[in-house]
Amino acid sequence: MKKYLLSTISIFSLFLTFSQNVEFKSANFKDDKDGLKQATDAIKSGDDYFTIANEAIFMVQSPGLNYELALKQYNVAQKFNPNNGELNYKIGVCYANSPYAQKSIQYLKKAYELDPTCDPFLNFYYGYALQLDGKFSEAIKSYEAFEEGYRKADNFNKFVSKRKKECSDAKAAMESPIRAWVDNVSELNSEFNDFAPSISTDGGEIIYTSDRPNGHTPNEAGSFDKDIYSSSLNNSKWDKPSSLKGGVNSTTDDVSNNISYDGTKLLLHRDVDGKSDIFESTLKGANWSTPEPLPFQISSKNANEVYAAYSEDGWSIYFGRDNDNRSNGFDIMYSSMQSKIQKNFMAAQMISSINSKFNEGPVYITIDGETMYIASEGSGSLGGYDIFVSKKAQGTWSKPENMGYPINTPYDDFFFSSTANGKYAYISSNRDGGQGGYDIYKVTFWGEPKPPELATEDYLLASIVNPIKDNSIEATVDVNKKSFTVFKGVTIDHITKKPVEAEIEITDNATGKLIETFTTNSATGKFIITLASGKNYGIAVKATGYLFHSENFDIPQGAADNLVNKVIELKNIAIGSTIALRNIFFDTGKSTLRSESNAELDRLVKLMKDVPGLKIEISGHTDNTGSASLNASLSQDRAQAVVNYVQSKGVAGNRMTAKGYGSSKPIATNNTSDGRQQNRRTEFEIKAN
Amino acid sequence: MIRTKQIIIVSLFFLGFQASAQLDELTPEEQAYRDSITALNLENEAIANSQEAYNSGIKSFQAKKFNEAIAHFSKSIQFDPNFTAAYYNKGIAENESEKYNDATKTFTQLIVLKPTYSKAFFQRGRSYQGLNDYLNAEKDYETSIKLDNENPKAYYNYGTLRFLQNDFDGAINYFTQSIKLDGTNPNSYNDRGSSYRMKGDYPKAIADYEEALKKNPNLAFVLNNIGTTKSKMKDYTGALAAFNRAISIDANFHLAYNNRGVVQMNQNRIDDAIKDFSKALEINSNYSPAATNLSGAYFKKKDYKKALEFGNKAVAMDKTNGSAFVNRGNAKEMLRDMIGACEDWSKAKELGSELGKNYYSSNCAN
Repeated sequence: MKKYLLSTISIFSLFLTFSQNVEFKSANFKDDKDGLKQATDAIKSGDDYFTIANEAIFMVQSPGLNYELALKQYNVAQKFNPNNGELNYKIGVCYANSPYAQKSIQYLKKAYELDPTCDPFLNFYYGYALQLDGKFSEAIKSYEAFEEGYRKADNFNKFVSKRKKECSDAKAAMESPIRAWVDNVSELNSEFNDFAPSISTDGGEIIYTSDRPNGHTPNEAGSFDKDIYSSSLNNSKWDKPSSLKGGVNSTTDDVSNNISYDGTKLLLHRDVDGKSDIFESTLKGANWSTPEPLPFQISSKNANEVYAAYSEDGWSIYFGRDNDNRSNGFDIMYSSMQSKIQKNFMAAQMISSINSKFNEGPVYITIDGETMYIASEGSGSLGGYDIFVSKKAQGTWSKPENMGYPINTPYDDFFFSSTANGKYAYISSNRDGGQGGYDIYKVTFWGEPKPPELATEDYLLASIVNPIKDNSIEATVDVNKKSFTVFKGVTIDHITKKPVEAEIEITDNATGKLIETFTTNSATGKFIITLASGKNYGIAVKATGYLFHSENFDIPQGAADNLVNKVIELKNIAIGSTIALRNIFFDTGKSTLRSESNAELDRLVKLMKDVPGLKIEISGHTDNTGSASLNASLSQDRAQAVVNYVQSKGVAGNRMTAKGYGSSKPIATNNTSDGRQQNRRTEFEIKAN
Repeated sequence: MIRTKQIIIVSLFFLGFQASAQLDELTPEEQAYRDSITALNLENEAIANSQEAYNSGIKSFQAKKFNEAIAHFSKSIQFDPNFTAAYYNKGIAENESEKYNDATKTFTQLIVLKPTYSKAFFQRGRSYQGLNDYLNAEKDYETSIKLDNENPKAYYNYGTLRFLQNDFDGAINYFTQSIKLDGTNPNSYNDRGSSYRMKGDYPKAIADYEEALKKNPNLAFVLNNIGTTKSKMKDYTGALAAFNRAISIDANFHLAYNNRGVVQMNQNRIDDAIKDFSKALEINSNYSPAATNLSGAYFKKKDYKKALEFGNKAVAMDKTNGSAFVNRGNAKEMLRDMIGACEDWSKAKELGSELGKNYYSSNCAN
């Protein structure tokens, strides 16, 4: 908004280059003589105040309300005739020496354009306008032009030299800004003056002073008395400020100075009998008590004391005091207590190392007592009040150093109240861009440069990237599918079926290896062994008097009942062996063979055929019943019948003889039916093999 | 006719008699004998099945089909619960597929069957290590070493555990033992070097890293370790040389690019650093350290928007990266988001960043 205004003014100024200075003469206002009279009267009234104010400024003293009162009058005339160079100059000077310094720029520039010779001090103030506007080189030229023209041997040169230095310092400062942001705290500010901030240690409460409308009667200049306000921080925003609770604010100026570190006491200043004194109020619950003046060592009758601050240890009060006899403006003093209970302050002392020839104050001491922030118009300022910092070293305060731009500007920048961690501070300034007059600003210090945190990564352990795997496993195995089968059997005589003790050899036919050799049971002819399944075996059977027997057989894999049973029939071939043919049957009393004899007879045939060299005698036998001769012939016939049968089956007759023995060769007793049954038999005897 | 029938009946009877006589032929002793053979056959069949399943498991393992292998070995064990090789291989397969819990159980069963089998203890130690159960892992490695004190791998793994528990002297001891038994393993030298490094003995660390490289000159990660160690010794020239070698061996070793970038930052060659960090991110688009460092580099160049952009990326990639929060906080502060900056430094502090803690306490606490 302000920038827009300035641009408009600039364009307007350009237009006005061609404007002429209009004097307050009747020749120029023939049609409005009354208006002219009113205007010139106003100017005269204004001039009275203007002169007083200028003298005070020259003496580095407060101009009081005089510029404001002069301005009130000048504005009446300005409304009538805005194109008078001198009037514009005077209005510019009034604003330049007020909190609304920014407003002076347009008037001073206009004055310069309308009538550069309207006042001997125009170059001085025009230079100031340029300085405020940041045009430092041009400002210096203007100041130098003023020096050229100003020949009086008075103290005024100190102001000019000061201003020139301010310009060069400001130029350098703006080229190297410090590491901070300065932001207008819009929630706290108004178009009026808002200043003297004091922040609680935790940064959550602020107390400050404002001359915004407060319902009291304004003074003759139309301004309201200063009151103290407070606000709380809520979600990083300040609440709407309210008048300090309790009995602090009066109908006259009450200006906040400094809140104690524990937040329970407040220093302020107010006028007493035309002089400003330091007061103290105490927080009781939610209300501040009616302020009490500090003792005379601080609040003297003959001087003005303003802007006090507590020392960090609570033993001293720092404050600003002016002196009517000297023209150094306000200086910083301090007074210490002898006893905190009695609060008996000693005489105030000046701190020469921090005071200058111009105004000092307000002052602020950090909670650790090591740093003092002090506002000063003195040497090193960039213009108006600036905030300086002084460090305590070996019990003395160092020469204050300007805090730099953007904290300080060519405008008034003063007050300093910081949070405990020093990250933020609150100041006041009437710099361009505010809401009007002095405003509260928040300083955010960037702090020391913040090096970034850089991340590196290593694979410190090789196993992360190059894992050693001991993952060798045990080797494969040969699968042995062993299964066994019980091989059971019996060796018997082929004809008689009687057990024969025999020697058996079992061979694995695949490998030719002899697996087992054993003898069958002599009584039963039985054997039982275990053989590996899934093979073909050869079995060789030997028995004395018997034909050698061999065959091969399979032991199948996975036989359900894992049992193989073999009946091995051996053929008797021993000479002299007699074998009974128990399964040969004849019709009773006859030699006719019954058919049920065939199986036995066929076995005999097989034996004869299997053993081609076998020669046998087939004999018939009876029991002793009946005639001996009949028995003899019957037995002979029966034997012959057998021979005939076997011969009929292809066995050569010359290998067999038939003989009937009748009852001559019993094998059992004839006295029993059993015995007789046994004696009735047919036999064969091996004669040759 | 009748006779034939009779004969048939008799024959049949005879045959039947013969047949039943066969069954009846088994005396009780013979029956018992036969039963014992049947039992033996069943046992042999089970063992054969176990062995077949075991061999199938090995085939699957060699084809890296570990789950399949585990199934086969399990089957093998079912058939023959005393087949120790099957337990061993099953456990190895479980370790390979990171089923460490199962592996510990398998090896425990094996140890019951074979209580002095040092390899079983070693492998179970590996399984516990996979579960980050260092206590039990160490017990097993100790036992393994007691049973067989010539296994360099047992000492090596034990050393690794000591390292992970910040007992660097212990780690050095075990790595040294491992080296004595097997001086060809570059890992042992590297890890011992890292142990020295953690103790701050950088020259010894470098010496061991160099030994590791003698065993295998193509280990980029060892060169990377040399680089960061030399950085700590402020031998930035040496550090750069090491990173350059690492990159020449493995052009995609993003760690080396990132670490080299950090050295560039220390030498104030910000643009070169940015190139290296960007390359690291190109190789591994989810590499939070590189994004973090880019945030820091742009911050130094006062490009706070880019610093914030990379800070956001770094945090998104890894929410436990304290440095990312520090750098993003720095960017946020300069972009006038003090609340955001304080949140980030607070988070960085939570994650253990000293810088974050400092920035928070000096800028945010009242």
